[in-house]
Amino acid sequence: MADKTMTASEALIGGLWTEIPVLRLILGMCPMLAVTTAVKPALTMGLSVLFVLVCSNIMVSFMRKLLKPHLRILMFTLTIAAFVTIADLFLRAFTPQMSEILGPYVPLIIVNCIIIARAESCASKCGIWVSTVDAVSMGMGFTIVLFILAAIRELLAAGTICDIPVLWKGFVPWAAMRMPVGAFITLGLMLGLVNALTGKKS
Amino acid sequence: MLKIIREYMEKSWLLIVSSFFFGLLLALTNSAWSGKIEQNKIDKLNGLMSSLITDANKFELVLKDAQVDVGKGRIVKTDVYKAAAFDGNDAGFCFRAEGTGFADKIELVIAVDAGFEKIVGYSVLASSETPGFGDKIGRSFCNDQYKGAPAGKLNLIKKGDDKKIDNEIVAISGATVSSTAVVNIFNNYLEQIKKQLTEKGLIGNGR
Repeated sequence: MADKTMTASEALIGGLWTEIPVLRLILGMCPMLAVTTAVKPALTMGLSVLFVLVCSNIMVSFMRKLLKPHLRILMFTLTIAAFVTIADLFLRAFTPQMSEILGPYVPLIIVNCIIIARAESCASKCGIWVSTVDAVSMGMGFTIVLFILAAIRELLAAGTICDIPVLWKGFVPWAAMRMPVGAFITLGLMLGLVNALTGKKS
Repeated sequence: MLKIIREYMEKSWLLIVSSFFFGLLLALTNSAWSGKIEQNKIDKLNGLMSSLITDANKFELVLKDAQVDVGKGRIVKTDVYKAAAFDGNDAGFCFRAEGTGFADKIELVIAVDAGFEKIVGYSVLASSETPGFGDKIGRSFCNDQYKGAPAGKLNLIKKGDDKKIDNEIVAISGATVSSTAVVNIFNNYLEQIKKQLTEKGLIGNGR
């Protein structure tokens, strides 16, 4: 869908449903599985990706007419790396505990496929307005899915949401939900649900 | 020659300009927030020192900018703090130490007893080691092996009894580089800090 004729409304719907990064494009799976043990780190990661995505899409769109084929990927990586470093510095300065929890996953946003994919398929072809809408919707789509997965895992693993107890007192935590197996099972069920809703067949 | 330079410039001017632009942007951001990041590290250092030497009432800076050769001719400066217990006696020494890990620099806070004879423990101040493997340097399997170990030369072994407290440290399975890095940090710092504290008369017979 993402080409020169892409409109802002198509970009908006794309990021939030038809091309939702994790569930439809199967992109950005590493942070999806790694930082979703609790809601707070998942939201921080989602918002960090949103920031990088918006900034890099705007920059790439701004310089799109100057991009030469042999420099394209190099320019994308340079742009993304700069904004990821800014996001990392911000977290280390203002939310040091969260920065520690997320550890290397913040610098690893540089290699997040969603960001480079949007730079390649949208920002390098579309104007600044459409590229910004695309980045916001893709970032929001990623953050929402990250939030849902983290909320399910935190709820079943600890009986809390954002560290606030929400389940009854005698609830026995499902330790497996904190482990990678919990992430895989929950993500698998979410993918199955989306496929069932959209009628996608193997 | 000029033709070649011109050709290169035509092909790469955008990359060069962008590199300068992003470099400047990062330099400005770093200068704006580096003070806050450093303050966060100091706060964490104080918290970690208190958690390592639990009977410490206060920490006093006794050796500023102690120089440590961390290998390959690189000299690193660190501050050494003396912990005073609630009863007024010395409770131990703490200092920040660093070395090269698998992914990036590993920063530790090391605590030793008042006589610099035994290691009290260590905490990880900063590390980017691989999640699930190298990041185990901050967990009890690795950490507990150092508690009570002699404050001298340590050796890393691949197999052994990790419960036995001596100068042999059992490596983390699948993270030999990170384990080696921690042992190297201890070996680099313990000997050199001990020597400087002895020279200053803070430990040993000169005290």
